[in-house]
Amino acid sequence: MSTTASPFVLEARGISKRFGGLQALQNVDMQVKPGEFHAIIGPNGAGKSTFFNALTGLLKADEGEIHFDGRKVSGLAPHQLTRLGMGRTFQITRVFHGMTVLENVQVALSAHARQTWNGWTAAGGQHVARGLELLERVGLAAQAGRTARTLAHGDKKRLELAIALASQPKLLLLDEPTAGMAAKERLASIQLVHQVAQQLGVSCVFTEHDMAVVFAVASRITVLHQGKVLAVGQPQEVRASALVQQVYLGEPVAAGQAGAGH
Amino acid sequence: MSSQRAWTLLVCTLLVLLPFGLSDFWIFIAIEVLAFALYALSFNLLLGFGGMLSFGHAAFFGVGAYSAAIFFKRSGLDVVWMFTLAPLVAMAVSATAAAVIGYFSVRRSGIYFSMLTFAFQMLLYTVALKASGLTGGDDGITGLKPPGVLGQPLGYYFYALCWCLPSVYLLRRLVLSPFGLTLRALKDDPLRVQYVGVHVRRHQWAAFVISAGFAGLGGALFAFSSGNVFPSWLNWTASATPVVMAVLGGVQSFYGAIVGAAVYVVLEVMISGKTEYWPLAMGIIIVLLVLLMPTGLVGRFKRAER
Repeated sequence: MSTTASPFVLEARGISKRFGGLQALQNVDMQVKPGEFHAIIGPNGAGKSTFFNALTGLLKADEGEIHFDGRKVSGLAPHQLTRLGMGRTFQITRVFHGMTVLENVQVALSAHARQTWNGWTAAGGQHVARGLELLERVGLAAQAGRTARTLAHGDKKRLELAIALASQPKLLLLDEPTAGMAAKERLASIQLVHQVAQQLGVSCVFTEHDMAVVFAVASRITVLHQGKVLAVGQPQEVRASALVQQVYLGEPVAAGQAGAGH
Repeated sequence: MSSQRAWTLLVCTLLVLLPFGLSDFWIFIAIEVLAFALYALSFNLLLGFGGMLSFGHAAFFGVGAYSAAIFFKRSGLDVVWMFTLAPLVAMAVSATAAAVIGYFSVRRSGIYFSMLTFAFQMLLYTVALKASGLTGGDDGITGLKPPGVLGQPLGYYFYALCWCLPSVYLLRRLVLSPFGLTLRALKDDPLRVQYVGVHVRRHQWAAFVISAGFAGLGGALFAFSSGNVFPSWLNWTASATPVVMAVLGGVQSFYGAIVGAAVYVVLEVMISGKTEYWPLAMGIIIVLLVLLMPTGLVGRFKRAER
């Protein structure tokens, strides 16, 4: 409740959400400590996306509270959450297709600098150095002049990451950051996110299907199942949990990737 | 940059010299082009840059024209003050109307936004038609010809130019500014724009109000040139005009709307002089142009340049 230092950068308490007859989320709690790389996993229909959208203000939870960076943020609009330091990316990549790669980042940088009401100064020359620096971080500096539409899928994901980083978030929420990628690309992609987040000291929450990806980078895992938290813990604890194995990790791929990245 | 400056200088010089080579009739047409260029440009700020298709933009052109006309009839100011203030009054009233209409319209997107603007426009059309004490009802308001030198085609042309050039300059700066950059991003993906920290509806609303202000200026300039205002200026068919102009010139390009307005007005004059079926001929030409040049005249030209 209070604004005194909370040990968590993000805390969800008792989040519930109902869609008609479907109880999509039921009393879901989650705590993210600063510096964590927190994965939300669960089978299809477990409520990952609903939970994710509730956290990021896209969806209003029926019950529960969300605290971010020491203050209550439930009910705030996406742009307000962003200004407080919550950045996000989307499962289906969202970038500004008609603009150049650099302009994509400039949009976010100029919003972060609260310049969107400036109708006079030419925007093209603003935030160029900072924009290129961000693109450099995600490995897109060489493509700065290209129209975003022409980028490869993986590069669009990186661009979206750069856009999210431009707001200098304290916490980054990535919805299926490797969705639509070839198996080989996925690991490299999440490791890039992991590396950049660590360099910048950004905490991270992500949903993910691919267990290899999860165990490669997650420092903590929340497992959702039928709208409830099934398990929470460090990767090895979660992997060891009989309950989790029963509903979710029975797939051989999980065991094969054990310990990767740790 | 310097080549751009040279172009600007060239075009401005041509615009200043243009009326000296034209008959009074064609100067009158040139004035119409100026007024409609501003109208189309303001419309395209929403469509081409913000991705918002207003089906009711004639409302703001009409409100501007009517408020300038009513101001002209009732304020009793001397001619200098009158013609200094009337366009500003028109802009202010149009922008105010848009502030109200936009407040509701930007709450919806896509076709719902379009239909809301359409509905509000028909509402204002009805007001223009029925509030005859203020608007003259069916008969509109006539006798708006300015006295003295402004009543001459040449004089009025330069008067209109004095309003249009700074307006185009302001709009150009707006489009290139962070405000315009954000607007372009909104066209691509409003949700993503929310997640860079922008209050999207407020931004769209502001663009709507600014656009309406300049549409109103276009209406005022045209009202004094034609000497009258009619309710049909606010009718829904009148809202198609800037759409066609913008598409004709190319919505992706800032100057496209101006080129589109010029081509549209001149074509209309030339064809309507030849046949009473000019809307048919006009329709065919527009269909052909859009089919052959989907990016508009300016878009086509730019591609050829490359």
